[in-house]
Amino acid sequence: MEGSLELTGLSRRFGSLVALDELSFTVARGRVTGFLGPNGAGKTTAMRAIFGLTELDGGCVRWNGAAVGPADRRRFGYMPEERGLYPGMLVGDQVRYLGRLHGLSDHDASAAAAHWLERLDVADRLSSKVESLSHGNQQRVQLAAALVHDPELLVLDEPMAGLDPTGVDAIGEVLTAQARAGRCVLFSSHQLDLVEDLCEVVVIIDHGRVVASGEVGELERGGAPRLAVRVEGDRDGTWARELPGVEVSEVKGGAVRLVLHPGADSDAVLDAARRAGRVLEFAFARRRLSEVFREAVRG
Amino acid sequence: MKGLVYALVAVVVVLALFRRVRARRQPHPPSLLGAVARTLGGRRLLGDTGLVAAREVHERLRGRFFRVITLILLAVVAAAIVIPTLHSSSRPVVRVGVVGTLSTSQRATVAAALAHARIGGLVTAEQDTADARAALHSHRVTVVIEEGRTLLVETAASASGSTTAMAAARAIATALGLQNAFRAAGVSTSQAAAIARARPLPIRSAAARPSGAARGTSVIGLVFIFILLTQYLTWTLVGVMEEKTSRVVEVLLATVRPVQLLGGKVLGIGLVALLQAGLVVAFALVLADAVGSDLLKGTAPTVVAASLLWLVLAYAFYAWVFAAAGSMAERQDQAQSMSLPLSVPIILGYVLALVNAGPGPASLFMKVLAYLPPTAPFGMPLLVAKGEVTWWEFLVAVTLSIGSTVAVARFAAIVYERAVLRTGHRIRLREVLVQQR
Repeated sequence: MEGSLELTGLSRRFGSLVALDELSFTVARGRVTGFLGPNGAGKTTAMRAIFGLTELDGGCVRWNGAAVGPADRRRFGYMPEERGLYPGMLVGDQVRYLGRLHGLSDHDASAAAAHWLERLDVADRLSSKVESLSHGNQQRVQLAAALVHDPELLVLDEPMAGLDPTGVDAIGEVLTAQARAGRCVLFSSHQLDLVEDLCEVVVIIDHGRVVASGEVGELERGGAPRLAVRVEGDRDGTWARELPGVEVSEVKGGAVRLVLHPGADSDAVLDAARRAGRVLEFAFARRRLSEVFREAVRG
Repeated sequence: MKGLVYALVAVVVVLALFRRVRARRQPHPPSLLGAVARTLGGRRLLGDTGLVAAREVHERLRGRFFRVITLILLAVVAAAIVIPTLHSSSRPVVRVGVVGTLSTSQRATVAAALAHARIGGLVTAEQDTADARAALHSHRVTVVIEEGRTLLVETAASASGSTTAMAAARAIATALGLQNAFRAAGVSTSQAAAIARARPLPIRSAAARPSGAARGTSVIGLVFIFILLTQYLTWTLVGVMEEKTSRVVEVLLATVRPVQLLGGKVLGIGLVALLQAGLVVAFALVLADAVGSDLLKGTAPTVVAASLLWLVLAYAFYAWVFAAAGSMAERQDQAQSMSLPLSVPIILGYVLALVNAGPGPASLFMKVLAYLPPTAPFGMPLLVAKGEVTWWEFLVAVTLSIGSTVAVARFAAIVYERAVLRTGHRIRLREVLVQQR
């Protein structure tokens, strides 16, 4: 498929542990794809497999329909989960060096390094050692290193972990712009609200297998109907827990999200809410991505 | 004194160069380092391996440690070369009293005789013989020339002794006696000067035995091979370990092959080692020439060349092993415990070579070690210094070392590739050899 990354039947065992179990999905060009899963689901192993950093017991990674080779990987950008920078190297030298390893000339690598460090608001740290930067700025430098050679595919493992809202916004804007420019963008995260805002497509895996995937909007429209109810003075939705066919999905800030399974009656829910107190909010709602995630992982 | 001045000037020049390089380092690489990087990193030359090597060269030269250790090495070399010459150039000085007059030619003859005997002389006029005797008693003068015909010393019984006073007296007496004889025989002044410059013919040994200077140079060479080798092998081991622990290796191996990354690191650090060794040797050559040191005379230059060659071969042999060890470690203490057994042959070769560095022939055990690749870097330069190895034997040892290096490099590349991406615990060799990464 032109301009896409395909992972087909990836399998990988570490002793008795199954890290990838016939994992298959596609990352399309022009979209930001979120890669979700609980800890140990196999996300990092799958991302490493794209770059040949782990041997596979089976399966294949394809780019534009052909098996990925060293020349393709030179056009990919990678940001590993545990940051990969030389602590004692100067920021400018570091980004320039990685640009050169990806095939840029000395001049082009210098220009691209300056551009991306400027774009990510760390241009003033060009001559600083990486180890002297804050965590957030190191993340920005790492992203600049992944982008310096204008990659066709960006694979980012937890790029927003530990960032403040400003950093999240800065990196989010760059990822969106990359997708709009026609690049493939795949990134993993545990910050589901962030993924919901940023991604058009998500792939959710558990135990090395895909358990849900598709456009965020479609996934949110799927599943059982649910209600968002807010009752004055209620903090934990105790009033709804004994209702037949009703499941408390989330309780956040005094608002209760309820899943209505077959047989559940919304009128009975409203009556129960009234008995608990003055009803401030009562509305049907879409599934949130966090709910999609929990339901997919729970099976 | 002149040597000390040369040494100081050289150190100041090196310091100034370092400061200049440091001042110009950002935002673009300094011209020297940039040139190195461009040369190595040119894709047509060495490709990704060259880029990796260029980064190593750039970062190592930029680091303070390299500058400090280079300055220390230069200071040690300067001391080793200059101090012996300061000692040998501190010539004794005698005061020569003169009763009556000495002609200009006689004064010149006295000065030449003392210079030839490596004795400094100060000539003072004495009023008469009584004054001269008093001056001798009070040690104000050492020798007295009476009217150009007789010499007086404090103790005549020591005429055959080896004191400076008697050496000066013998030199002056012989020279003035010859001058008087030439004059009586009608020999002109210029002819007399030509005869006075007569030197015995040199006597050479058919066995071409090595000089003491060569042995001294070989000892200095052994010490430097040991220091540089341990320094750069440690850099290699720690450098690989740091790339692993900082996870930068993941980013790098997403683009370059493991053997390119490993090869670039070994090449880059090796070039820095060679640069430092070359700098030290060039400094030593210039300084030794300037101060007239014996350390680089006779067969000593051959010993220097052999030591340099074996430093390169030793680094090439061991660097792969230390890099592979670094890929199996995650912490400094793990790296140290792994480097200790790997250093045993280095320490063994070094110590045994120093023990055998005396005037006698090398032991049979030392000769055997000189052919084994792990210990040859210390054994072979020693045998060269002692003149106990022929060119073809030397070539055999070099060939054995190169062949072993190829085998060791292949094995190390396998270990590195399988270990460097495994994290979470110290990797055992058996684990690496039986499992995939």
